[in-house]
Amino acid sequence: MAGLLRYLVQRLVGLAVSLGLVALVVFLLLRTLPGDPARVIAGVFATEEDVRRIRSQLHLDRPLPVQFGLFALQLLRGDLGVSARTSEPVVREIASRFPATVKLAIASMLLAASVGIPLGVLAATRARSPLDLGISTFVLFGISMPVYWLGILLIFVFAVQLRWLPAAGADRPASLVLPAVTLALLSLALITRMTRSSMLEVLRQDYIRTARAKGLRPLHVLFRHGLQNAFLPVLTVLGLQFGELLGGAVLTETVFSWPGIGRLLVDSILARDYPVVQGIVLVFAALFALVNLLVDLLYGLVDPRVRMA
Amino acid sequence: MNLSRVPIPRFRRSPDAEGVPALVVAVAVAASFPRAQAAPAGLATFRIAIGIDPDTLDPAQTTTTTAANVLDYVVETLVALDQEGRTRPLLAESWTTSTDGRTLTLRLRRNVRFHDGTLLTAQAVKWNLDRVLDPKMRVPIRSPYLAISRVDAVDPYTVRITLKEPASYLVGALTWTTVGIVSPNSVGKFGNTYENIVHPIGTGPYVYGSRVRGERIVLQRWPRYWGRKPFYDTVIVQVVPEATSRESLLLAGQADMIILPPATDLPTLHQNPSVKVLLARADRTIFVAINTQRPPFDRKPVRQALNYAVNKNAIIRSILFGAADPLDAPMAPTLFGYCRIGAYPYDPSRAKRLLGEAGVVAGTEVELMTPTGRYLQDFPAAQAIGGYLREVGLRVSVRTTDWPTYLATITKPLRENQTQLHILGWAPAFLDAHQQMAQFWSTQWPPAGLATSFYRNPRVDELIEAAAREVNPDRRKAMYCEASKLIWEDAPWIFLWVQRFPIVHSARVTNISYLPNEKFYAVYAQPAQ
Repeated sequence: MAGLLRYLVQRLVGLAVSLGLVALVVFLLLRTLPGDPARVIAGVFATEEDVRRIRSQLHLDRPLPVQFGLFALQLLRGDLGVSARTSEPVVREIASRFPATVKLAIASMLLAASVGIPLGVLAATRARSPLDLGISTFVLFGISMPVYWLGILLIFVFAVQLRWLPAAGADRPASLVLPAVTLALLSLALITRMTRSSMLEVLRQDYIRTARAKGLRPLHVLFRHGLQNAFLPVLTVLGLQFGELLGGAVLTETVFSWPGIGRLLVDSILARDYPVVQGIVLVFAALFALVNLLVDLLYGLVDPRVRMA
Repeated sequence: MNLSRVPIPRFRRSPDAEGVPALVVAVAVAASFPRAQAAPAGLATFRIAIGIDPDTLDPAQTTTTTAANVLDYVVETLVALDQEGRTRPLLAESWTTSTDGRTLTLRLRRNVRFHDGTLLTAQAVKWNLDRVLDPKMRVPIRSPYLAISRVDAVDPYTVRITLKEPASYLVGALTWTTVGIVSPNSVGKFGNTYENIVHPIGTGPYVYGSRVRGERIVLQRWPRYWGRKPFYDTVIVQVVPEATSRESLLLAGQADMIILPPATDLPTLHQNPSVKVLLARADRTIFVAINTQRPPFDRKPVRQALNYAVNKNAIIRSILFGAADPLDAPMAPTLFGYCRIGAYPYDPSRAKRLLGEAGVVAGTEVELMTPTGRYLQDFPAAQAIGGYLREVGLRVSVRTTDWPTYLATITKPLRENQTQLHILGWAPAFLDAHQQMAQFWSTQWPPAGLATSFYRNPRVDELIEAAAREVNPDRRKAMYCEASKLIWEDAPWIFLWVQRFPIVHSARVTNISYLPNEKFYAVYAQPAQ
């Protein structure tokens, strides 16, 4: 237990260091982008004086090291600053979009895993059968289909023609269906493929043959002996995919006008809203790292061989 | 589409229940959806889909017409526009300008109440105008009001505005949402501060209800509105950034009105009997700004040649699907001060002759820059323009960047400015030639303003300054007319077109119109009989 604790502390310190580096990189990257935030925010009718005033309100008239110093001090106080575009605290901006993003990410992940894993298992047990071929074709389709196109297609069929589901928005449970399906497709395909190949590997092992020879029920062999051992690589994919889904799905959010964080990020980049972009990138980085930490800890649960000393 | 299949959306249950395959995940998160956002059952709701999430709900801080358009439901201005672009009384019943043009006196409408119950008074108006002028406030569209030196509440219903110098455009400027009147008492409540209003309390026909950022704004009818009361109890403004999705919402019966459908779908929408397309006349001029200070475009005949080289009508027909009208003056016809000047007809041989006479050799390299997605069909139009210019012998490359980069490139001071030709749209917030003339006024050269063709004609400068001070409307108009003729002849732009503002609504609703500054006017929308 003490080992686990030390491991956790090590990882969290590493996390803090990475976040510091992320803060520096995003700060510098933003400032190398062409375009004057003050001019963009002020709009085309603004006077030169107004543009200058906004520039000084945002500290853009100070030298870069001073700007970064101010930003870092703010961060240490746990303050992400104020949006240059909306004059609202960045924390509030992110918090207002975060639930929608989490909701969509969880729904897509559940959908992708609950369909993808069984499909992968099925394909592995029927390897090289017409069924396997069918599933592989579907997977290829899922990986190649542009989200954007799929989204519009789904809207056309299920909202415009059949009128079963809302075309856009996020105001009722049914609104979640189309974006979740659209977003899940890629993850689903990846999970199916990973499950299939990992299962194929495991099913060739001697202990599977032994288990079968012992006369265990085939399903028991498949899931307790097969899937459980094949699950580690799948878990990795799940973790990475979930991290990415949390990072916002800009295209899906745009097509379905889902008020998630990906759209906020793109809008903020296009408006050169430095504080919001910095805030979102930092929050994403932290989340991604945390999800990965969680996945690493789960490895230990799934496979007793994986234990940190 | 079969008309009988289109449901009357407002009285129908929302399509969330029957026939929908029950997804476990959907049910699992169902509890987390804010029920309060849904319209009260049985009451009439009007649903609008717009393209951008308003960056602010503070009238003084508005920068986009879309945000202003939504705010207009809640917050009213002293003076309003009518569909022809003329000023009409709103919160001010009448106004008079002193003979020296230095004082504007407004009489306020009586018994008008803000949504918090307080009375609209001259004091409240003074507070709002002072706030717009307060240097501590961020007011992006402040320049039209800078001529004001002080505002006085003469009595509870009389406001006197004293000017530093005569500014005849000021009454027009009072129609813009920046000077929308909010309740001074609402500061310190509802999350509002003096510097930032987030919950506007105005006098308009609708009360601001709630907002889900990036998703929707809900407005409720104000039962104590001083004017004619609207039909719908609730107006829901949905933020749908993707044009195709907006169109789908409308066709699926889940929105009653949308703005800016995909331009390429306009012909199909025109033929669809279940919707109505309104191509609203507007004020946004689209043009190619020519950097008039760099050779070979520092010579007038070369700039005129470019105007003859481009077939504007063909582009409007086949690329903009009719959603524009060719320019016949350096401003839109909806502006005060417009007079029709003429046309540069499509005449490539004349263009070639002019270029040849000016010594511009075939194969001269020219760069044409354009934003993408900012104006109707901007990038495809730029490619077509490039094609026409190639036909008269120029070697044109068309380049596009994101808007902030674009803006930074074209607003560099002349010394560093490398632009040759770039597409720009200019939409005066209020419909007065004064705002359009900023494009031709040499005081507005970047970085001071956005006169990005670096045009200078001393007589035009003189006329613009004189017209701003002139109190007599007829004399003012004559000055703008003279300036327009000079500008047209000098050709600092390739004069392209005035963009129309497409609004599409369900055939089941009626009474939807527009204001000629890219705003829809649907406050009095109602079901069609």
